[in-house]
Amino acid sequence: MTEIIVVTSGKGGVGKTTTAASIACGLARRSKRVAIIDFDIGLRNLDLIMGCERRVVFDFVNVIQGDCSLKQALIKDKRIETLFVLAASQTRDKDALSKDGVRKVLDELIADGFDYIVCDSPAGIEAGAHLAMYFADRAIVVVNPEVSSVRDSDRILGLLSSKTQRAEKGGEKVKEHLLLTRYNPRRVAAGEMMSADDVKEILGIEVLAVIPESPDVLSASNAGTPVILLEQSDVAKAYEDAVARLMGEDRPMRFIEEPKKGFLARMFGG
Amino acid sequence: MTSLAESAREGPAVEVRFGQVALAQVRIRTTDASVIVEDLSKRVAAAPRLFDRTAVCLDLSALQTEPTAEQIRDVSDAIRRAGLFVVGLAHGTQAIDTLARELQTPVLTQFRPVQEKAAPAARQQRQPQPQPEQVIVHTPALMQYQPVRSGQVIYARHSDLVVTSNVGAGAEVIADGCVHVYGPMRGRAVAGAMGEVTARIFCQEFRAELVSIAGVFRVFETLPPELAGKPVQAWLDGDDLRFARIGN
Repeated sequence: MTEIIVVTSGKGGVGKTTTAASIACGLARRSKRVAIIDFDIGLRNLDLIMGCERRVVFDFVNVIQGDCSLKQALIKDKRIETLFVLAASQTRDKDALSKDGVRKVLDELIADGFDYIVCDSPAGIEAGAHLAMYFADRAIVVVNPEVSSVRDSDRILGLLSSKTQRAEKGGEKVKEHLLLTRYNPRRVAAGEMMSADDVKEILGIEVLAVIPESPDVLSASNAGTPVILLEQSDVAKAYEDAVARLMGEDRPMRFIEEPKKGFLARMFGG
Repeated sequence: MTSLAESAREGPAVEVRFGQVALAQVRIRTTDASVIVEDLSKRVAAAPRLFDRTAVCLDLSALQTEPTAEQIRDVSDAIRRAGLFVVGLAHGTQAIDTLARELQTPVLTQFRPVQEKAAPAARQQRQPQPQPEQVIVHTPALMQYQPVRSGQVIYARHSDLVVTSNVGAGAEVIADGCVHVYGPMRGRAVAGAMGEVTARIFCQEFRAELVSIAGVFRVFETLPPELAGKPVQAWLDGDDLRFARIGN
């Protein structure tokens, strides 16, 4: 059974691609066959985050238009054997995607026996974002703990429950998860940032993971390494928890409280 | 009383001008419409903007047997289905003239008309007519002075392309002839887009992601240190793409 997961948010710059790359990597590291697709036609970024930007010859639009086979366009990850990237086209615009075209590619991936297909959605609520979520079985809504991101996520959750294939068929709902990124417990404690509980209460769905704010995210992006692969990083641990929970494991929430300072640090204000 | 539009108009209603326009030629080796559609569609899909509603001249000189008007009608339909428009038949034998008359389509003279290979008897039957004037045209290179940004595609149809600025990663510079880039070249360079195997690519500062000449391409996942950032030219040697430093 293939599960299609969309990583979406509405708002731009909240960490969709970072999240999609890390989730895909985490699943693939558990020996699942994973394909990750960049739906951001014209502004492709996933290939950079995955560190395969110089290996892109054919892209998603090429496959849809029949210029090449899916096999030719899938880029095999160099670190994890079971992970494949389908890059977006940089030279086209979002109108190059069609529902039938996307369906055809997803069906081929399903027939090929992939366990997971991770769809990295573009920002916004236009055609590209709509197509990224349309076929999803599960949605990870990435949200920053601030009001505009929360409102946009609310809008996306509305679309997930009305504009997807599952919603149209009226069967089982798309499983929805919240994933908070750029979370800074110190600023939450100081009342400068919304807490995970605040966000959860407003949006009314369970939190899959809280990803702490960290410079590791930027350095991993620049190095073309999905941040989940930086073993020592809290961000990597938080994403690993998210993957475990996606696969049904029960793990306690981490990184939502300010780390307790040691006695000496408290004494000397370290 | 004359209408406003009429009084505003100066000169005759129709102006006839003579001049050259570039026209792609489609040489067919079969009259099988389905094969033609398939073949052409692939090419059109590879460069949809290049072929979008392009006018083409149908060249029948490579066919083994003389086609019937019916066959040519089918072929024209096939080409139209692939997104191109046949606007006439390429100049050739007497038979093509007859065919063109039957199809009510013009015969277009090539710049260097292919001499009729038919029997001299057939030629003698023809009225002596003035030789079409031979014109040598020079298509100037397409000049690009602005940076070519990621996602942008610059295509020089029937000519060389000269870029005096930089080409970003994810940008594409394409020419039917040669490609010259005088700024840093970080994107994709495609020369001989219509199959010209002698086309070359010249880069002042080579950092390309992909280089292609007449359909033969190479991806640079990592740049060879002897080429990275250096003045480099690329050419086709048989089926192999070759790269070399320019100068020292």
